[in-house]
Amino acid sequence: MPRRVVPPVAPTAASGCHEYRSLDRRGTSRRAFLRSVAGGGALLLTRSLFPSLPFVAFAQAPRAVDTLVVVFLRGGMDALAAVVPVGEGAALYDHRRATAIPERAVLDLDGFFGFHPALAPLHEIYRAGRVAVVHAAGSPDPSRSHFDAMEYMERGTPGVRITGTGWLARHLESVPWTNDSPFRAVAMGTMLPSSLQGPDAGLALPSLEEFRLHVPDHERDRLEGGLRKLYAHAPGELPLAREAERLFATMRDLRTVAADRPDPRPGAAYPDTSFGYALRQVAQLIKADVGLEVACVDLGGWDTHEGQGGVDGPMADLLRELAAGLAAFHHDVEDRSERLTVVTMSEFGRMLVENGSEGTDHGRGGSMWVMGGGVQGGVHADWPGLHPDALDDGDLAITTDFRDVLSEILLQRLQNPAVERVFPGYRARYRGIVRPGAV
Amino acid sequence: MTRSDVHLVNRLTYGVRPVDLERVRELGEAGYLDWQLAPEAIPDPEVDAFLERHPVLGADVAGIRRALDDDHADVVKQVLWAKLFRAVSSERQLHEKMVDFWTDHFNVPGPDRVPEKVVDDRDVARAHGLGRFHDLLLASARSPAMLLYLDNASSHRDHPNQNYARELLELHTLGVDGGYTERDVAEVARCFTGWTLREGWRGDMVFDRSMHDEGEKEVLGRRIAAGRGIEDGLEVLDVLATHPSTARFLAFKLCRRFVADDPPPGLVADVAASFRASDGDLRATLRTLFTSNGFRESRGQKLRRPFEAVAAMLRALSPAVEVHDYWAVHYVLELMGHVPYAWFPPDGYPGVAGAWLNANGLLHRWNAAMVLAHAHDGWTDGAVTVDLEAVVPAADTAGDLVDATWRRLLGDPIDAATRATLLTAVGAGGAGQRVTPTARRERLAQLVGLVLASPAFHLT
Repeated sequence: MPRRVVPPVAPTAASGCHEYRSLDRRGTSRRAFLRSVAGGGALLLTRSLFPSLPFVAFAQAPRAVDTLVVVFLRGGMDALAAVVPVGEGAALYDHRRATAIPERAVLDLDGFFGFHPALAPLHEIYRAGRVAVVHAAGSPDPSRSHFDAMEYMERGTPGVRITGTGWLARHLESVPWTNDSPFRAVAMGTMLPSSLQGPDAGLALPSLEEFRLHVPDHERDRLEGGLRKLYAHAPGELPLAREAERLFATMRDLRTVAADRPDPRPGAAYPDTSFGYALRQVAQLIKADVGLEVACVDLGGWDTHEGQGGVDGPMADLLRELAAGLAAFHHDVEDRSERLTVVTMSEFGRMLVENGSEGTDHGRGGSMWVMGGGVQGGVHADWPGLHPDALDDGDLAITTDFRDVLSEILLQRLQNPAVERVFPGYRARYRGIVRPGAV
Repeated sequence: MTRSDVHLVNRLTYGVRPVDLERVRELGEAGYLDWQLAPEAIPDPEVDAFLERHPVLGADVAGIRRALDDDHADVVKQVLWAKLFRAVSSERQLHEKMVDFWTDHFNVPGPDRVPEKVVDDRDVARAHGLGRFHDLLLASARSPAMLLYLDNASSHRDHPNQNYARELLELHTLGVDGGYTERDVAEVARCFTGWTLREGWRGDMVFDRSMHDEGEKEVLGRRIAAGRGIEDGLEVLDVLATHPSTARFLAFKLCRRFVADDPPPGLVADVAASFRASDGDLRATLRTLFTSNGFRESRGQKLRRPFEAVAAMLRALSPAVEVHDYWAVHYVLELMGHVPYAWFPPDGYPGVAGAWLNANGLLHRWNAAMVLAHAHDGWTDGAVTVDLEAVVPAADTAGDLVDATWRRLLGDPIDAATRATLLTAVGAGGAGQRVTPTARRERLAQLVGLVLASPAFHLT
């Protein structure tokens, strides 16, 4: 019912995550920070933009921490067409016709694997050493249901249905610092993803502009004033007054962020889509220093059962959009890239053997990409190969659990040693995909 | 302080309307409760008409599957809309609230198994929601949706799958502190091996003896004899349905849903006793709950969950509101994280305010109210139409208009402080200011929006 403030393309096409974290690199403890705030010390220059934010509640981490952006590719991305194992030769190309990416077209990564040509902008960043490509990665749960597979991945407990919280929520809860910013965890879209499901819900923002009271402009001040008074005197024991105040503060500050529109850095050419728009807004939140730690962005459309296309076609278009978005984002916040990690994931890969509709069906092994100043660039794959004996029920097998990649990022880049609380019942294997953050 | 009739109606239904208060006047509070406790005797013409317009909702699994193949999105829309339509328009309101309660209690997410979920809704929650708990439990255990979701359909004597057994004990009956052990879970799993679906056909449940573990078992200290088939599972259900922990657990959940997030222990005990004394008769149990002092004294203690808030707004504006495009309303439910049938874990959507009280939850509720109220200005793009003139009675002064709007939408009289706040918020000069037709038209939308967004509307 709210009038949808639509970005250029239909809202369901994509959403985005941003995360940003501004920290006191002097390493003061929380108490010291509070004292210095009381003493009027201006630790964070941008504080004046947001007088309403509870800055006294910003604790400072002992070490610098990356902002994490999680890009979920919904539908099951065909990793064998995005990161082509050209070196497999006939073992790959015997099974792909319309969806084949010929060797001459791929952008080489390491002599064995190559990017789909539509990923050219990302390939540039790869060549600069800022992209780690993990292949044959995914979830041990064999479900080929989108819903199940996504939920298992986002809750971080494959095969276990009862987990009530998401992995990102557990991460935020288990870090050795606190952050009361309402922008601590943001999902660009209409729904909070399951990865953020938890007691301290993050913010779901269809867009920065849309997170406000939907009333005619000339009525807004009076109506907001009315609501504030009504909620300030809310009866009963529920913290309605407190939540309402927090909401008003958040809306006010978002107005400032949106109005303060720093244009994207010249050269940051975001695609003209919801996904591009979402990434652009996450960049805005990052630059506004609002205390963003984790951001979630979605890009859907990967469930290419029919007419997937090869070098050109629907999947190529998506890859183009993905790469353009990631590259624009990378460029837009390049000055903070040492403190930024972007990770892409998808609920599963797709089958080796092309189906009868010039598409691919749900498979197993997929590919995760990690982008940022802290990555160990290159291809990271415990490659099982495509020989029939090496396949898992006809699919690319999984040799890197998705939790290995995420745990390493949490530990090394987000300074959270509590990975076993984030992924209960799982012992991560670290593979040197990212470097430890500076202390 | 909310009047007792308003309180009763707000808890028994999805939201009070003037016609509901008239009915309470007619029947008395006890009579109104009795009336709602016998849904089979309540004619429901609007819902009947809706179901006739949407025959897929009455089809079997195969029929629903065919319809999905034909137009997946449209079938899904019908299924989702039906739940909202019933919440708003059914005369059998308490039944609808109980269906919602059991939908959460025996949660099975819909997205991957739409045909089975539609049938599950009909055969489990709708068929037995106000009946005997034992019948409800058995229907759930046999439901193809449940058999698939918690993997019992593939549970085999060589490798029993414990998913269903665990949730049966932890979530459906005894509760996590109900006094069972890991061994009980394993033994119950053995009892239910063989409860499955026919290969390649997902109609009704079948019992497959070749999958069943016929050995002797022990569940909660009770010996389950060897050499039997489906009787093992049936016996387990009997034991669980009549177990004192089940009575306590269900009583607690019902009190949490209908009384307060932290219900008075004495009331929970009384409701549990009623459950046991009536052999799991849900009507008798609910009668104890709704006639208790604990219930009467619980005014204002429950926060409407997002779906309930939206249904309440639509009820408050009825009959002058019409939903032309369900997806517009669905968008709001998505924003608030309360889309029907979309909760992934087996425990169902949370029932306490803390789970819903956050920035997203509040803002989107307010916006639902504001946009609905401004619908005549095109704010819903025609997806929902509202005739506010037909909702709020005539009023000469600004003060009267505020009072009339509040009373019409909430059922209760307004207090002076709230009147003053609302007068200022709609830019009225003072309570005595005369209201011209133009001013009324301008102010009404703002007033209605504020009232539907106010704490009083969201706390029942």
